[in-house]
Amino acid sequence: MNSARTTHRFTARTTRRSAAGAAPRGPRGRLHRLLLAAAAALALALAAGAPAAAYAPVGIVHTEKVEAGPYTVTVGFSEWPLRALQSLDFTFAPEGGIAHKSGTLTIDGPGLDDEDRTSSLARHPRKLDVWGLDVQALPEAGKWDFTFALDGHAGPARGTLRDVAVLDQPGPPLAVSWTLCAIPPVGMLAYLAAGWRRNNPAAKLSTLV
Amino acid sequence: MTTALPDGIADRAPQPSPAVSAAQNRRTAPLAAHLVLAGTLTSLLGISWDIQWHTDVGPDTFFTLSHLMLYSGSAVAGVTSLAMVLLATAAQRAGHPVGDIAGGTPVRVFGGTFRAPLGHLIAGTGAALFLLFGLLDLWWHSLYGFDAVLDSPPHIGLFVSISITMAGSIIVFAAARDTGWGRVGLILSIPVLITFSPITANAFSALPLPVEPDVIGTVFFATLLLVMGTLIVGRSRTALAIAAALGAVQAFLWWFSPWAARVYADSVGLPLRDNLGDDAPEMPAEIPMFALLGAGVIAALLVLGRRRGWSARIVPQLMGAAGGTVTALSMPVQLALLEGSGPSAADLLTMAVVGLAAGALAGYLAARFAVLLREPSTAPATKD
Repeated sequence: MNSARTTHRFTARTTRRSAAGAAPRGPRGRLHRLLLAAAAALALALAAGAPAAAYAPVGIVHTEKVEAGPYTVTVGFSEWPLRALQSLDFTFAPEGGIAHKSGTLTIDGPGLDDEDRTSSLARHPRKLDVWGLDVQALPEAGKWDFTFALDGHAGPARGTLRDVAVLDQPGPPLAVSWTLCAIPPVGMLAYLAAGWRRNNPAAKLSTLV
Repeated sequence: MTTALPDGIADRAPQPSPAVSAAQNRRTAPLAAHLVLAGTLTSLLGISWDIQWHTDVGPDTFFTLSHLMLYSGSAVAGVTSLAMVLLATAAQRAGHPVGDIAGGTPVRVFGGTFRAPLGHLIAGTGAALFLLFGLLDLWWHSLYGFDAVLDSPPHIGLFVSISITMAGSIIVFAAARDTGWGRVGLILSIPVLITFSPITANAFSALPLPVEPDVIGTVFFATLLLVMGTLIVGRSRTALAIAAALGAVQAFLWWFSPWAARVYADSVGLPLRDNLGDDAPEMPAEIPMFALLGAGVIAALLVLGRRRGWSARIVPQLMGAAGGTVTALSMPVQLALLEGSGPSAADLLTMAVVGLAAGALAGYLAARFAVLLREPSTAPATKD
């Protein structure tokens, strides 16, 4: 939020400075007009970029309820249906709020590293009144479970949201994306191989040792 | 018939253009080399800060300061290299070609339209690719959302692009190895690429390998670059100097990354994540803390090989295998130190095998790369 305000302030200042002086004539005048045009272009670019500079609020489009003993947790999803590799925000809102409660979340699903399965429930960095996960991606399509182990005024309890469907990743197949991104290193290796073949470095190793 | 020229014109030599004068100026080459290095260092600081920001704070936009630092590093290196290519081209056309010291062997580009010092050609190509992959990354974000996966294909493309610029920086300084600034620059530019290599090696994180690919990448590239730098300069103590510089980079990033993340979070009014604990900073913790030991072994084997007259076909692989094994064995020890546990015997055995194999291959390649970078007439893939 503050970042967006900073950008707007800078944009306004740039524009005011651009409008402040009338363009003088002659070569220096042309230079001045060029600078004014560049400043205006910069101001426009910054104004267009301003939305990208703001931290987006967490938009929940779907919720599910989980009963963990005496606690009811509302699980919020920023996208629905879920897709593999997509950037997701999750919110976990226990009834009565998160004060005086703690616990862990265990995620089970295909392709997840062991060390990433269990974590302490922490406040969502962009929605501090609930627990959550920000910009998380689930690596593979399939069925996923979310298990909550909670502790609070009514003692410890567990509950699981089972079989949340995660669909295939959006966009082209990953193999296509990886092939595209492999072009530069393959090109560099080909360039290196050509230089290697031309110069036969193995024949000159004795100059090194 | 005689023609008379106005007084003074006949005996006045043609003035070289400003571009040719700049290309011939002996300060231009070191200035450009250091600007490229400053660009790669800026990228390194930016990526370490950004990774720590994701860990410690979280919320992300295109315009975070760490992102801007990352982009500006490539921009500085790219614009500098482009300027050097244009200067070298102008000098060549004026009949005053620049020497290798201006950034490496000059090579013909686009059928001779440009004459590019090899190091600046590579560094500039990396910066240009960074721009292209930046566009691809924007498209990726439109499909997948913002930055949830560090090792996505466009991110790996961006990291490879930065690595190419870093490799270009090494080539630029290697070409000036006969000067003091060239050797110092080489010793500083190599740790930058060593530090960056595990991020790029994450491209293979989906493969079922017995050891994490970023650890293999660290061992392989640290060994390759240590041996290569030592052989380019030709002095055994260079290995120790590179390892010391790597330690300095690690110490600085260890302090800078969490500090910058916290100060920036304060300045924009964001809290740190709950339950952060006292984990080591993400990226600096992956840099080998005991690289000096590996470098010591590499230096000792070079001295021994020279004294005993061992074959140059064997010594680089020995240096790599021994140095790689020491570095590889140090990685589980480092992890144990940071996490307060003890390395298991199985881990150490696995890492010894990885270090031996990756190190021997690294030594083999390092010697050949060193030859290519030492030879003034090497490496151009285009005919002169």
